[in-house]
Amino acid sequence: MIASLAYVVTPAIDAPELRWAGLLLLLPATAVLLAGGCAMARVRSKLAGWTTVLLLLASFIITLMLYGQVQHPVTVELFDWIDFTWGDGSKFHGFSANFSLYVDSLTLFWMLFVTGLGTLIALYATEYMEVDVGQGYTRFFAGVSIFLLAMSILVMAGNLLMLYLGWEGVGLASYLLIGYYYTRPSAVAAAKKAFIVNRIGDLGLALALFLIWDNYGTLDFDGLFQALAHQPTTWPDWDVAAIPYLIMLGAFGKSAQIPLYIWLPDAMEGPTPVSALIHAATMVTAGVYLIARTMPLFALHEMALPTVAWVGGSTALLGATIAVAQYDIKRIFAYSTISQLGYMFLGLGVGTSFGACYHVFTHAFFKALLFLTAGAVMHGFAGQLDLRKLSGIRRIPGFGLISWTMLVGCLWLSAFPYTAAFFSKDEILAQCFIGHGPGFEFLGWMGLATALLTAYYTFRVWFRVCAGPVHFEPGTEDHQADAHSDQHEIVHTAHGHSPVAGATSHAFHPHGPRWAMSSVLLILAIGAVGAGIPGYMALSGKPNWVSQMVAHSSAVDAAGVTQSHDHPTLIGFDVHTGLTIVGSCAAIGGILLAWYLHLHRRKSADALRLALMSHPITRWVTIAAENKWYVDEVYHAIFRLPLWAGAHILAFGDHHFLDGVLVDGLAKLPAAAGRVFRPLYGGVMQGYSISMLGGIGLILAWFVWVWTSRG
Amino acid sequence: MTAMAQRIDQLWPELMVLTGAVICALIGLSRQRSMRAAVPIVAMVTLAAAVLIEWMRPNSGSESGLLFPSLGHYVKIAIGILGIGLAAIGAGHMDRKFEAQIALGRVSFDPLRVVRGEYHAFFLFSIAGVMLVCGASDLIWLFLALELVSLPTYIMVALGRSNRAAQEAGIKYFFLGALATAIFLYGFALLYGATGSLDLIVIRDWLSVQSALGGLSSMAVLGLLLSTLGICFKITAVPMHFYAPDVYEGASTPVTAFLSIVPKFAGMCALIMLLGTVGWNGHSITASDGVRIAYSGLPQPVTAVLWMVAVLTMTLGNLGGILQKSIKRTLAYSSISHSGYMLIGVLAGPGAGFDALFFYLFAYGLMNCAAFSALASVERRGNDVDSFDDISGLRAKQPLAAGVLAISAGSLLGLPPFLGFFAKAYLFMAALEAGHVGLVVIACVNSAISAFYYLRFVLVPLVAPPSARADELAASNSAFPRIAAAVCGALLLLLSAFVTQMLGAASRASSGYTPVAVGDSAQDSVQSARAPAGGDANQVVVDSSTRHP
Repeated sequence: MIASLAYVVTPAIDAPELRWAGLLLLLPATAVLLAGGCAMARVRSKLAGWTTVLLLLASFIITLMLYGQVQHPVTVELFDWIDFTWGDGSKFHGFSANFSLYVDSLTLFWMLFVTGLGTLIALYATEYMEVDVGQGYTRFFAGVSIFLLAMSILVMAGNLLMLYLGWEGVGLASYLLIGYYYTRPSAVAAAKKAFIVNRIGDLGLALALFLIWDNYGTLDFDGLFQALAHQPTTWPDWDVAAIPYLIMLGAFGKSAQIPLYIWLPDAMEGPTPVSALIHAATMVTAGVYLIARTMPLFALHEMALPTVAWVGGSTALLGATIAVAQYDIKRIFAYSTISQLGYMFLGLGVGTSFGACYHVFTHAFFKALLFLTAGAVMHGFAGQLDLRKLSGIRRIPGFGLISWTMLVGCLWLSAFPYTAAFFSKDEILAQCFIGHGPGFEFLGWMGLATALLTAYYTFRVWFRVCAGPVHFEPGTEDHQADAHSDQHEIVHTAHGHSPVAGATSHAFHPHGPRWAMSSVLLILAIGAVGAGIPGYMALSGKPNWVSQMVAHSSAVDAAGVTQSHDHPTLIGFDVHTGLTIVGSCAAIGGILLAWYLHLHRRKSADALRLALMSHPITRWVTIAAENKWYVDEVYHAIFRLPLWAGAHILAFGDHHFLDGVLVDGLAKLPAAAGRVFRPLYGGVMQGYSISMLGGIGLILAWFVWVWTSRG
Repeated sequence: MTAMAQRIDQLWPELMVLTGAVICALIGLSRQRSMRAAVPIVAMVTLAAAVLIEWMRPNSGSESGLLFPSLGHYVKIAIGILGIGLAAIGAGHMDRKFEAQIALGRVSFDPLRVVRGEYHAFFLFSIAGVMLVCGASDLIWLFLALELVSLPTYIMVALGRSNRAAQEAGIKYFFLGALATAIFLYGFALLYGATGSLDLIVIRDWLSVQSALGGLSSMAVLGLLLSTLGICFKITAVPMHFYAPDVYEGASTPVTAFLSIVPKFAGMCALIMLLGTVGWNGHSITASDGVRIAYSGLPQPVTAVLWMVAVLTMTLGNLGGILQKSIKRTLAYSSISHSGYMLIGVLAGPGAGFDALFFYLFAYGLMNCAAFSALASVERRGNDVDSFDDISGLRAKQPLAAGVLAISAGSLLGLPPFLGFFAKAYLFMAALEAGHVGLVVIACVNSAISAFYYLRFVLVPLVAPPSARADELAASNSAFPRIAAAVCGALLLLLSAFVTQMLGAASRASSGYTPVAVGDSAQDSVQSARAPAGGDANQVVVDSSTRHP
């Protein structure tokens, strides 16, 4: 059980000399304005894309410069924003929230991959989105810039109100980008779903802000952390204890955890770079950041962190079970994101902020890689993403690089031994066995089971799509038709394309990526490999970069709190050694299973499914898993239907009572009054003057009556 | 002589604007089309120059012998900026049919048939009037400046449109305005009678002597009441608000925009200067050295009447707005209700109340500028749009106008990301601090009621399907209203990030004002009549615990 602790966060130092860090907000804002300007000027070139890439690159460089400057937490006041003070006779109240930045190593850690991956994804998108040049290209890049602007505000915020501003901005940007193909009803529905589900979480965060201000009188991170450090160590009242749970709700919404994960799989309706942006660099990591940032608040209730751990662990398992039964590549990756985010929350909950943040970091690389390769496949095969309809594409010219980088992504996602994700996942699962909390050990085993499933469903994709005999059916995406067909021709001549044997459609020629997309994939693959270095050092007990970054921030204590001195064992070994063995077995076992079912003997997978379908119990499980456990349908029945009914009842009442009786009745009143006073009104000037003089006369008469009768 | 030179030195912006007015009147009659078309640009440039002159000048008005020595600085800049927006709304509106016919070669130029030059000259005269109001040192100057604001507007209403409704509105506005002028002039006369002086500072000294020696005379209070009620006409407050819906509807869109902003600015300044002669009751501000200074003075009857006027104004304005079908009438009622909110700031008094009030005046001006420029940027068959039916589904044809209309309505309503929210929040907090809890509650209820009609500005253009009438909408002939709409709409969003800075600027407007006597003649009497003051001889310092009754 976690004891109540006075969290000590190093007080921040005011650093006016670092005001240039404000450029990190200004540059994406400039990108938004430039893209908006391009849209207004109806620019029909890739100008907006390149300005966005360059400005994001500049903000990445500034992050690097800032990284060299900041050793301890600093606050940078940009300018005064809101400063209300009022007195009620006995004391003064104040509410102030300035445009200030709170920069510590956690901030920088996040900003590094937000801006870094943001730049790479924007670069990828300059090529990916080229079919829309002139139509939606500028709109797309304006959206991307808003996304990264909002994310930068969120991460750099010096107080919770600014964080909330960025939080809402991220929600807005995701709505705009998921609904990018606004003529497609499914995209519009997905955008709405993402926005509305996020609103539920936002409500929790907003309430948490109110409670924090009410109890601590400040929303500044620095002031809040210092206030927390000095508060008594007794368990607080419910209105304080509720704060971590409300923050949690916000984080669950943004980071797609149970019960608010349902928006994320649908969010792939947006263009693929958007999915990469949402899943890797921005949006979903915001929830992890929020909890890491406000970690001292989670000591306010003893069950707060264990709740996070349990929700995270369950989400990890649930996401993996759904991913096993899906056929759409992007959908599988989407569920894998939910599952991996579950690991991160599990890490936060069991007390290893280091593990959670490290997993965010490694995940950012390989998930961006996976989505961008999936996007390249989709781009090349006209929207085809069904893994039953693609096979052996690594032998198609131009797709070799995609297949091999995707293999890197898959190995990392399945936590293959001695890859980056293997270390980060190990760190989290080890803490489950080390930490003392309700059922943490069980969560650890659950995490291992999830790892097995993860390895299986990941390689199910790769063995199906990239390996095996060459065979494909192109999709029917609209960008293949009309405007895009010219593009195809150009691309094909450029590639010196030759017809591929086994193609079912002779008119269709798959085309591979050019330099922008290819170089981004390569950089990401290298980054994913490099991301393993800190993990390797952590395993050998040395201090490493990520743990240094986390240790000097507000997230530090969660890592320090539950560090127990007894060394538990796992299957007879030290916990880390044991996990290395079990984890490796899970990953390799999953991959072997996938190899057998989806490459070695593909028919056996179908046979297995048939066998499962033939038994009454397993039949139900199969169908339910393929239908995502019917969670959407259950939500529909529990929440949407009553709301829908309530809305109609209210609309009826509004129409017949409010409009019908109250408003129309009110409207009749002046008309009735008008009939009495018709001589005065009706636009006749004399009437107006009499009314005015009468009014003045009444006021003066009242004055005379009151003040002369007194005196 | 040096005093005179100093006064004239303060008047450079006014002189600039008046020069611009003369140029407008002259080149408006030019035979060249391009010269005539330059009239609105001249108006905008001279206003910009006036703003620039005032901006560059160090604010050294403290020795100028004015009751509010720094008021002019803020007001001249604010009304100058708003004036540029208003001129942009009106650019290309005057004479548009006649000019179109000239362009087609159907008729030749006839100096008797064009009004653009006159219109813009009057426009600038009126704005110069607002600037002069703030420089008023005595009642005569104040009266003349207020009339300089109003007289041109009577003509502008009639000039702006060549139909019967505009003529009728102009005549109505003129006669009712004359009536209101008579009332506040009578109030001025009574004030003169009660104090024997026209100079505002001398009046302030005498009144503080009077109140120190056993209360204000009835004549002085009556004078204040009548002046206040007369000025209610300028700010469209109850009971002088009746004309507003008719006149706003009858006038053309740019003129309506002008009426909703400029006279209100002048009226509010005049009201503050008049009431400034008696100070405020039960209010305190923190001086620079941290001592809380309590002001006493605003007489009970004046407070009571202002309270009543504020409540009635916002309530009647908002209830009236619900039932309207005409956009301009709705905005007229909206402007009435906003006057009610502003009176809260007047009641809250110096310090927080005035800061909030001046902030609100500018924010309100900007919101109305945005709304009217959006309206002016579309036209239907060459006429102003007026009914909500006209703008139904506006988003399809004029997305900019529809968006700006929605933003301005959200801001007028006081929704959080927009400037209007901060304006209202500051106002209400100042009132809370001054102890007017009831007033704030009523104002909040009123804000909720106003949502009923403000949301129509969001729903009708953005959500409702395009109506048959809306199909005939076209963009206005001039690009200026569209630019004004885009700029004002963007400012309503962006300025929200700089509210503290804006409030700082607004708070300098009332700096230097002391509500108690400082003159030589009165000082001794006041000193002897009052308890010994701690510290500053000019101000009565009390303990902060006793400042609220």
